[in-house]
Amino acid sequence: MSRRYDSRTTIFSPEGRLYQVEYALEAINHAGTAIGVMAKDGVVLAAERKVTSKLLEQDTSAEKMYVLNDKTVCAVAGMTADAGILINSIRYSAQQYLKTYGEDIPIETLVKRICDVKQGYTQHGGLRPFGVSFIFAGHDERYGFQLYTSNPSGNYSGWKATSIGANNTSAQTLLKQDYKDGMTLEEAQNLALKVLSKTTDSNKLTSEKVEFSTIGLDADGKLQLRIWTPEQIEKLLKESGVLTRDEEGEES
Amino acid sequence: MVGKDCVAIACDLRLGNQSLGVANNFEKIFQLGHVFLGLTGLATDVTTVYENFRMKTNLYKMREEREIEPESFANLVSSSLYERRFGPWFVGPLVAGINSKTGKPFICGFDFIGCIDYAKDFVVSGTATDQLYGMCESLYEPDLEPEDLFETISQALLNAADRDALSGWGAVVYVITKDKVIKRYLKSRQD
Amino acid sequence: MDIILGIRVKDSVIVATSKAFTRGISVLKDTDDKTRVLNQYNLLAFTGESGDTTQFADYIQANIQLFTMRENTELNSKAIASFVRQQLATSIRSRTPYQVQVLLGGLHNGSEPFLSLIDYLGTRVDLPYCAHGYAAFYTMSLLDHHYKPDMALDEGLKLLKLCHQELVKRMPIEFKGLYVKVIDKDGIRDIDFS
Repeated sequence: MSRRYDSRTTIFSPEGRLYQVEYALEAINHAGTAIGVMAKDGVVLAAERKVTSKLLEQDTSAEKMYVLNDKTVCAVAGMTADAGILINSIRYSAQQYLKTYGEDIPIETLVKRICDVKQGYTQHGGLRPFGVSFIFAGHDERYGFQLYTSNPSGNYSGWKATSIGANNTSAQTLLKQDYKDGMTLEEAQNLALKVLSKTTDSNKLTSEKVEFSTIGLDADGKLQLRIWTPEQIEKLLKESGVLTRDEEGEES
Repeated sequence: MVGKDCVAIACDLRLGNQSLGVANNFEKIFQLGHVFLGLTGLATDVTTVYENFRMKTNLYKMREEREIEPESFANLVSSSLYERRFGPWFVGPLVAGINSKTGKPFICGFDFIGCIDYAKDFVVSGTATDQLYGMCESLYEPDLEPEDLFETISQALLNAADRDALSGWGAVVYVITKDKVIKRYLKSRQD
Repeated sequence: MDIILGIRVKDSVIVATSKAFTRGISVLKDTDDKTRVLNQYNLLAFTGESGDTTQFADYIQANIQLFTMRENTELNSKAIASFVRQQLATSIRSRTPYQVQVLLGGLHNGSEPFLSLIDYLGTRVDLPYCAHGYAAFYTMSLLDHHYKPDMALDEGLKLLKLCHQELVKRMPIEFKGLYVKVIDKDGIRDIDFS
């Protein structure tokens, strides 16, 4: 039945579904997990990178975390190549806003702009939809720290803690259990790592497999946005005790 | 102006409409990462050109995952201005900075369609160009320490501006070393 | 030439515009309001080529209101000033530039008094007091002399009265008096000025 309707992105099936969009969503459910957790003084993004071969040259720069402007970072789940296109256009659009209004684009406005592009590809035919979901972490004057997700359909939503990609339902359950209002950035970091370590398919988290970024305030109250280096992640993994707990778990 | 492991860049603060002074808080030097851009000329283009380069350097920073270096920025300025060869921005840009990798001081100037004027000592731009050349030519000496460079560039600017009816109304001086930027406002004649 | 004058005082901004609408040597109207309300705390005053002026002001007003509807938030004064400047800077390099000078008065984020002067080229400066056109020649020296940043509103209005007297006395053009508006925490209101 579906074969007659799913070759076009833009055509509803008799059951009222858009198959290509659903397939895109399904593709993302097999991609590496990404998690976002909001704290009272910042936001954490963590993502799992699939290491396919040890022969593969390990790129030093992050491949799932992208800075979008001075106040926003995002984590990607899905087709990285598709994400690149959207990221380029949104970086440009954020700078265009800065030029026009002399201030940084509000986070929700930026998310909305990505989603307008994504939505376009579910309606204007001939092409496939973007095979990516995002988690956005950002800060603006109006709402302070914020966390959003978006998916290939062009819908977006705001969260206190959320996940996309493989095992996102179990990650979501874990987050729901352990999330507390008013957490510090450090607590949020540990929570994100803990959830990531529990949902990962490989049995141990290492700095090669984890990407990490945070938005927080420094000592002067200035916004600090950073994508962590492998060394910093290594240190964090050790300090958070996620590694040791896993090893204990294996032994028992 | 270039000193020993340091550079300085300075501008006046006047914005005027012919002979009428409109504002004494119009800064013409802009910081883009660790590079400094000075812009003289038509005020609307000063603002627009700065906004354009802010955009370009921000995008560069995200793409390259590092700040732009003064040498690369100078070439970006040049090609961006020449892009408008037949409908130019009416600005006289200067670039100053220290290469974060080599630690080498860098300055250069441009004409309004992007021809680069590299210099090892000083570059000038604006309505008081002639006066500035005179002052710099007589006050400048090579390898000045940051504090002496500050004194030299300040005196050169202040005294050149006083001989130009369209310049003055206060000044700003930046002294840039590898790990520090000092910004100072100068009082000057308010007439 | 029309008169457009603005003074930023302690908690408010005063904007004064001449009432005369002139074409050539005739005054066609003496109740012309050269301002547009953009939102609760922002007022745009304008002068220049007639036709261009109202067209441009209406366009800005509509765009500010469109933004508010789309984003569900008010634009602050600095963002509006930046937007207006960009429109004029783009326009000057088009085939048919708007010949409009504007003055934006408002409370930035509903609290901080803000006054911005923007000319037809897209030159923008944020100032404590300013005027467009010939009025600047007659009033700037008065304002330079008497202005203090922490002036109260009534002192500001007194200073404006001095400017008005000077304009009536020395300017060889009939401008039919001034409309005076004040922007403060209660919003925008007209001031009886006679």
